[in-house]
Amino acid sequence: MRIKEHPVLSFERGGKISFYFNGQEIEAYPTETIAAALHAAGVRKLGESPELHRPRGLFCAIGNCSSCFMIVDGEPNMRICVMKVRPGIRVEEQKGKGVIKT
Amino acid sequence: MKAVEVMVIGGGPAGLCAALSAASLGAKVLLAERDGTPGGQLVKQTHKFFGSEKQYAGDRGVHIAQMLLDKARVDSNIEIWTDSAVLSIYEDGVVTVEHEGKHAKVKPGRSIIATGAAEKFLSFPGNDLPGVYGAGAVQTLMNVSGVKPAERVLMVGAGNIGLIVSYQLAQAGVKVEAVIEGAARIGGYLVHASKIRRAGIPIMTRHTILEAFGEKQVEGAVIAQLDDNWLPVAGTERKIACDAICLAVGLSPLAELAWQAGCEMAYIKELSGHVPIVNEFLESTISGIYCAGDVSGIEEASAAMVEGRLAGISVAVSLGHGGGAAEAMQREAMGELGELRAGLMGRHIREGLAKMDSLAAEFGIRNSEFKTPHAAAELGIGCEVQDISISATSPASALFSSGVPANEDIAKICPSDERFAAGPVAVVECFQEIPCNPCVKACNRGAIAMPRDINDMPALNARLCNGCGRCIPLCPGLAIFVIDMDYGEDLALVKLPYEYVPIPKAGQLALGLDRCGRELGRYEVVRVMPGGKRNMTHTVALAVPKELAMEVRAVGVL
Amino acid sequence: MENRDSETIVCRCEDVTREMILACIADGYETLDEIKRVTRAGMGPCQGRTCRQLIAAELSRHYGVSMEEVLMTTFRPPAKPISLGVLADAYASENG
Repeated sequence: MRIKEHPVLSFERGGKISFYFNGQEIEAYPTETIAAALHAAGVRKLGESPELHRPRGLFCAIGNCSSCFMIVDGEPNMRICVMKVRPGIRVEEQKGKGVIKT
Repeated sequence: MKAVEVMVIGGGPAGLCAALSAASLGAKVLLAERDGTPGGQLVKQTHKFFGSEKQYAGDRGVHIAQMLLDKARVDSNIEIWTDSAVLSIYEDGVVTVEHEGKHAKVKPGRSIIATGAAEKFLSFPGNDLPGVYGAGAVQTLMNVSGVKPAERVLMVGAGNIGLIVSYQLAQAGVKVEAVIEGAARIGGYLVHASKIRRAGIPIMTRHTILEAFGEKQVEGAVIAQLDDNWLPVAGTERKIACDAICLAVGLSPLAELAWQAGCEMAYIKELSGHVPIVNEFLESTISGIYCAGDVSGIEEASAAMVEGRLAGISVAVSLGHGGGAAEAMQREAMGELGELRAGLMGRHIREGLAKMDSLAAEFGIRNSEFKTPHAAAELGIGCEVQDISISATSPASALFSSGVPANEDIAKICPSDERFAAGPVAVVECFQEIPCNPCVKACNRGAIAMPRDINDMPALNARLCNGCGRCIPLCPGLAIFVIDMDYGEDLALVKLPYEYVPIPKAGQLALGLDRCGRELGRYEVVRVMPGGKRNMTHTVALAVPKELAMEVRAVGVL
Repeated sequence: MENRDSETIVCRCEDVTREMILACIADGYETLDEIKRVTRAGMGPCQGRTCRQLIAAELSRHYGVSMEEVLMTTFRPPAKPISLGVLADAYASENG
């Protein structure tokens, strides 16, 4: 859920855009990271871990860890916690380590 | 290959200040920041900073970040690369950067590593479930993106980060179920702890998390009490329903680049991990490579800013810039660091830095006649290391485990009945030696004093105080209140700091809450004074029964 | 309490559990470097930023040595993953 009123901060989000998560259209704002937009839409499971297939979500949110790796427009291992949303991008859950595009 | 005089790696509080001070002395600086905007963790800090004016005390981190960045952007000696992660530093000093999707090589005359820290992780079953976040992630979602990370959070860790993030969660409208802390005492500043207690958030010391549970994401946690050996006490396990678990269990220096560069490193536990060994000017064992901020030891952001400034000056001096003024600037920065570290809360830092000093001497880099800022004792700043349990002014121990001052603590600072009868007066509920002094400056009648240094607890001269309330919104810890016992026949007016939404309105009824966030009753809001554009702390005046004037410490909007 | 070490993740990148780390220690491995080579813990995209301290703490506990004495692994460039394409471009532009 997005914060509407805050005692210290004001959020200038810009005009609404949309992108796709596992094929489903999701509303977002261009100032948001993919991680933030997914969270605002209630999506917290971002993928599955490479070996044990455990559900994975955001952990550090500043590009230190690998917990948020997703597939963005076909490219795996994208750190979606530091990657801004762009209109129409296709974001998918990543299961495993990703496959090189051929 | 790009040649630059100074390369600053990392645009957080240390890096920005390093770039600014080096540039101010005439050095040409390239600042590389991995994020899209410099500012580091400052941009997520909505609370007011401690320290003194020189470290922007009383300003909120997010505003400090903006101010530093505005300065850096217009400085013609500073070039800023954003979205530019530094990949490596090689033996020949060459720095490689992923810049605008390209692999860039930079050959700097001097480098300042200001890469900050990474959050520590914790080992427990279910620790990787979606919904187990580092505290930084929670702050990023909530304070940068404006997205609630969850609805109900369990906070693990009662250091400053755990306490501050809990407060920020409450400000964002998220319920914090509890703050748990393995140690017997709250590690962070007590004023932060008291703030969240007033918001009704419990703090449970000597408690740990045993597991996180949930099918696809966090649905709850099992916590338990710890015994003297830090082992869970059987039978004390309890479930806490929550949709997020926030880990605030400390930071480790992010020193990979220093390792790569070949800097001599040491594990210094007081500095929270492996750190590059640096001398009094923050130069490492590799000539020309300096380290500033959390990368060379975890401290508060105010210290990181001063370290950045010191490293920037030192680098400029070593390149022949600055002339005679530079030495005074170095001494000033060292003095500020000494002062920030002089209090009881800085004790472990002083111990860590004393180890650092002897290692620096061992490696032959500790060579100047400068007194090091590391050991405050050398500066003659009040820093006799004393155990708080034997300090005459120390608060009751319950305050350290609960965050709520005990009656005996309050008795020490409560103005006399005669003083109450004479009109409005401030009540300063600050019980810990922390480096912070905006209250002293706030009072233009000189009623608040810190005789020794900024680590003193504020001493109120109740005779000089006229109860104007100027200090209420200026205290970064929100620990000052004003009480007018003479307000009415049976009513006292209590003026309280307020930083939540919605803002109460004059004439309405609001909840009066005690120091644990318990409702004491519904009382009339007499006045609401905004703190202004930059301060943003409202002062709410509540008319409460006289006998509750020393009990009501927070306002809840109905 | 039942053993839940198989559900306790130490290295997120390579999915290494506490059970696997303790098994290594039981097998006689003594250093971070050995455990890294055997389990891949710390060799993933974050390069050990989250797991290194946890493994060091296990070694410290098991062998009764202080954290100061636990040997660190070697840190090599790059500090962050980078695509081969970026490196190839850099190579091409430098070498024609």
